[in-house]
Amino acid sequence: MASSTTMRTWVGKSIKRLEDPPLLAGAGRYVDDVSETGMLHAAVLRSPHAHARIQRIDTRKARALPGVLAVLTGKQAAELAGPVPAFCAEPVVQHAIAVEKARFAGEAVAAVAATDRYIAEDAADLIEVEWEPLPVVGSVEAALAAGATLVHENLGTNLVFGRTLTYGDVAGDFGRAARVVQRRLRWPRLTAVPLETAGAVAKYVPSTGRMTVWANTNMYHYSAMPLAGTLKVDPNKFTIVPVHVGGSFGSKHILSKVITIAGVLSKATGRPVKFVEDRLENLTACDSHASDRVYDAALALDDDGRFLSLKIDVVDDYGAYFQFGQTSHGNYLAQVTGPYTIASVEITLKAVLTNKCQQMVFRGAGSEVNNWMLEILVDTAARELGISPVEIRRRNFITPDQFPYRMPTGNYYDSGNYTGVLDQALTLADVEKWRREQARLRTEGRYIGIGLATCQQRSVYSATEFWFWYDKPGFPVTATPEGVTVRIGQSGQFTVSLYSPFWGNSPETVVAQVLGEEFGVDPSTVSVLYEDSLRALPAAGPGGSRLTVMLAGAVTGASRKLKDKIFKIAAHLLEVSPDDLTLADQKVSVKGVPDRALGLADIAANAHFFKMDLPKELETGLDASYTYDHPFTTKPSEDRSDLGAFYPIVSHAAHIPIVEVDVETGIVRFLDYVAVHDCGTMLNPASLDGQIAGGIAQGIGTALYEELVYDESAQLKTASFLDYLVPTASEVPVIRIGHQETPSPYTPYGLKGSGEGGRMVAPAAIASAVQDALLPLGIEVSELPLTPDRIVRWVRQARSTSPPARS
Amino acid sequence: MPKSRRVIEVIVNGITYEEAVEPRRLLADFLRDDLGLTGTHLGCEHGVCGACTVLVNGESVRSCLMLAVQADGADVLTVEGLAQNGKLHPLQEAFWEHHALQCGFCTPGMLLTAYELLQSGGQPDADTVRKAISGNLCRCTGYQNIVSAVQAAAARAGRA
Amino acid sequence: MKPAPFEYFDPRTPQEAVGLLQQHGEDAKILAGGQSLVPLMNMRLVRPAVLVDINRIPALAYVRAVDHTLALGALTRLHEVATSAAVRTTLPLLAEAAALVGHLAIRHRGTVGGTVAHADPASEIPAVILALEGDLIARGPSGQRSIKARDFFVGLLSTALGPGELLTEVRIPTAPAGSGSAFVEVSRRDGDFALAGAAVLLGRGEGNRCTMARIALCGVGATALRVPEAERALEAQGITDQALRDAARQVERAVDPPGDVHASAEYRRHVAGVLVTRAAKEAWQRASQGTP
Repeated sequence: MASSTTMRTWVGKSIKRLEDPPLLAGAGRYVDDVSETGMLHAAVLRSPHAHARIQRIDTRKARALPGVLAVLTGKQAAELAGPVPAFCAEPVVQHAIAVEKARFAGEAVAAVAATDRYIAEDAADLIEVEWEPLPVVGSVEAALAAGATLVHENLGTNLVFGRTLTYGDVAGDFGRAARVVQRRLRWPRLTAVPLETAGAVAKYVPSTGRMTVWANTNMYHYSAMPLAGTLKVDPNKFTIVPVHVGGSFGSKHILSKVITIAGVLSKATGRPVKFVEDRLENLTACDSHASDRVYDAALALDDDGRFLSLKIDVVDDYGAYFQFGQTSHGNYLAQVTGPYTIASVEITLKAVLTNKCQQMVFRGAGSEVNNWMLEILVDTAARELGISPVEIRRRNFITPDQFPYRMPTGNYYDSGNYTGVLDQALTLADVEKWRREQARLRTEGRYIGIGLATCQQRSVYSATEFWFWYDKPGFPVTATPEGVTVRIGQSGQFTVSLYSPFWGNSPETVVAQVLGEEFGVDPSTVSVLYEDSLRALPAAGPGGSRLTVMLAGAVTGASRKLKDKIFKIAAHLLEVSPDDLTLADQKVSVKGVPDRALGLADIAANAHFFKMDLPKELETGLDASYTYDHPFTTKPSEDRSDLGAFYPIVSHAAHIPIVEVDVETGIVRFLDYVAVHDCGTMLNPASLDGQIAGGIAQGIGTALYEELVYDESAQLKTASFLDYLVPTASEVPVIRIGHQETPSPYTPYGLKGSGEGGRMVAPAAIASAVQDALLPLGIEVSELPLTPDRIVRWVRQARSTSPPARS
Repeated sequence: MPKSRRVIEVIVNGITYEEAVEPRRLLADFLRDDLGLTGTHLGCEHGVCGACTVLVNGESVRSCLMLAVQADGADVLTVEGLAQNGKLHPLQEAFWEHHALQCGFCTPGMLLTAYELLQSGGQPDADTVRKAISGNLCRCTGYQNIVSAVQAAAARAGRA
Repeated sequence: MKPAPFEYFDPRTPQEAVGLLQQHGEDAKILAGGQSLVPLMNMRLVRPAVLVDINRIPALAYVRAVDHTLALGALTRLHEVATSAAVRTTLPLLAEAAALVGHLAIRHRGTVGGTVAHADPASEIPAVILALEGDLIARGPSGQRSIKARDFFVGLLSTALGPGELLTEVRIPTAPAGSGSAFVEVSRRDGDFALAGAAVLLGRGEGNRCTMARIALCGVGATALRVPEAERALEAQGITDQALRDAARQVERAVDPPGDVHASAEYRRHVAGVLVTRAAKEAWQRASQGTP
């Protein structure tokens, strides 16, 4: 337990990252940099049809091409590997290479291993497939229509999951309401697009039955066992070796398809095989498209503008598989009512299968969508009641004296000061000045908008979010571990073993700074290693903004064990009681007698070399492992009327973007962007700011540029970087970042997670700004992205009609 | 199917290499796989993301859009050629100081683009730097630390 | 994404190149800057059996003043076009448009000849050459010929170049004194293809008369196009608000734009008028400043 006024040495310092030098020098080791002797390269043949039965595949010409060592159809691959693992309880079966039929355009139907990727692609061109096209289920409407073709026949329906969860007296609260605000909203399908695609090198050694996989998966320890099952390798002979990951943002959690494809080809050839998605494959057929939702949402209020209740009807187009289940809907239940004192909430979810690529998650994991939806309801209410967006939020914020705050679903918000964040943001942005500018420019026919979003950013997930939508989950996992091993070497040097990968965040810097705080060691001297899954302690890896808190917990846990041993040794050598000792600046000294001291290096040397001079019960050496688990989580009740605490470490932010909308061309440009974040105690402020700015850049992409567009035949029209538009430096403004620190009572140093925050707030804030700009034209904005085409269409409609035009 | 390989001679980071390549071999794959210089990355292979940026005869190019045979006789600079004797180039130092990278995948291409910008000397303002790096996608940083780093490197070079 | 195999030639003279084109016929494609062609080859959307790489023909790279024209060899890089003093002073519209193409790394390799021969309807350069009424010089089996810009861009991604013909030069009359020009476009992001673009050249005479109006657009049809009705509106009325509104209306009537994921046909039609208005105002201002 700590407050932000505590004096610290390394926690709170913006030190340079330990990770950077090799990455700067071009010496990173990403999966495509891995090279094994005799390694082959894979290419994949993909279905041109969104829905079609495979009548016949002829691979003879492909196999005959010089340089080709194996060609596998789905049926042949299925002899070497079973279906890929899935989190869902429903029997939605997926093979990495489709067996009977293709369920989305781009699904793998055959794979080739050859001496280089060029030849592998030549061979893929020579594979002949006879298709029986099937009716395409190209939309939720088509999927739910009577007599609809089924994406998975064995399910008997395309509605793979539907349920209503109700918390509190929703009907009563809506009945009592003085006013109900209702909106229909559409959130577009997007995908994370890390600059590095997914890939794997699989090396199966037939004589040992061992398979080694290098892959840029996030949760390699978690997923190793299920993947071993898929690849029919004994779990204790299957290991995943971590590599540098070139970004993930939620898209590389398991990577079952690339790992299985590389794995079966390795089994078929007896040689290492590399399969790295190219960018077209990544956009079309990755594991991880994101939320694709239509909302009918309602907010009930009293006549003072106080929020009473929230009702959400959401339909999500999950594509052809359900690998991650409805996790992205479990996620937002942690903060569905936002930072507001809303007493009751009802969520009706329909998860629908169609002939599109599957969903997994993208930074925010579904909560960024809920934030956007809720903020639109709040702003709509403000307009209808004639209250300012700032005032309506003040009236409904949870206040500092109400923490830890139990919100309706049962999750807790650990701590917060939302008014403080809002006030800081308003001052930093100088909103008063912009309101005056806005009025002045309107007289010149120019439209600027001032946006506001005040949103939660839950962090440190509990595994219960993967399954609590089910009354009878297939596998109700409750462990979300993160282990580390800290070794102090013979001359006092620190080495840390991590069991989760580097994926763009700063795990090495995190553990080094915490060790610096615990022992006084200079963080830049700490050596950090990454271990493969067989050598690993349990570790769930990055995701849900958990890793900084979890690593801090693991390192402080290991540090406690080490200090215990260090004090025992020092006490023995100094002939005092351990209680008489204190540790600071890498020295153990007698309290009040600083000259009676031993340096850590001396103690380490004793621990390693001089067994006979140690207390009898101590083993030689000086290392400790600790597997930290979630600091505060509880199980959901049987009937799910209380989901328990599953994401109680909650950060909060307020964003105020200022935009100008050119109503003739529809181009939106930023005049300013202010973001104030409260992520508890800051470990490394510069690193945090980088996460915030990067998340906001992705939020700008979401709000203005990015969209995966399918046509009526479920063909992806935005299948390259020419069409799926990731913001460049010219589209992202300078982000002016402010901080507040309201520590968590549950975590080491009061840290909270922060990695997803920028993207969790920015889409709502930017939508709010554009809405504010277009308000005088009577336009109401109900979808994203806010493209020039859409904006011009709304403006022209509004100008040609007198009633307000809704988008 | 044409099987002929061409022998090409390319100077990369000051070292002369002579290799036989298929005409269709992309310069990026030649650097990465034939020469083992894996610092140059592939992010899209259709010339949009800029991760594959290298300098050919002093000019930035997308190495995914050049054939290795087109670099015959050329002088190429990749990220591995920036540091000298293990000492980071001032641009790399500036990126480190300003937290201008997170996952590092765009970084080599970004460094070469920035390096080219700074070759012309002077103190580019923030807008100029932003425009110059707009052909290099970064999904992690939101760009502003990269802009600061490049300006800082320019300032240091100006004082040197 | 790796290209399919091909036979590769890198001739050293234009004659050699033409000979290869004649020899291999439809199997052959010319590789100039490669910034448009190589992505298509990497995606295997095009698979030429023969690639004729013209990058080692120094005789094709030059910028020369010839009488009242500027002659640019086909291999002149777009970066050169955007920054050359000769182009910036005598053909400012071309320099302005060239600077908008992609990013610097693309302009280092992309060539004016390759861009023109590829004839992407969203490309800025063909629109500029139409506005400036340039000539395209081609060399083929039956010798050399000059093709007027208005006859050159015949359809979607197709030009008047015949089989075995190599575009060797773009020759453009330099901007007359007292003229001003501007290129204004809308794109989704910096460096992207234009959703629509307007190239405008205006002559400013005594008493603020508009002595000449040239208006060309990209992104709003199968090819770049001139809009003579809009030009006449400006020449008749001068650069007044009414004239600009008339011109914009003429533009909207004249274009038949495509719709795609980035913008609908309606959007392109609407914004074409907006861009012509903005470009005309800018061009007129530059004409009066004496800075074309």
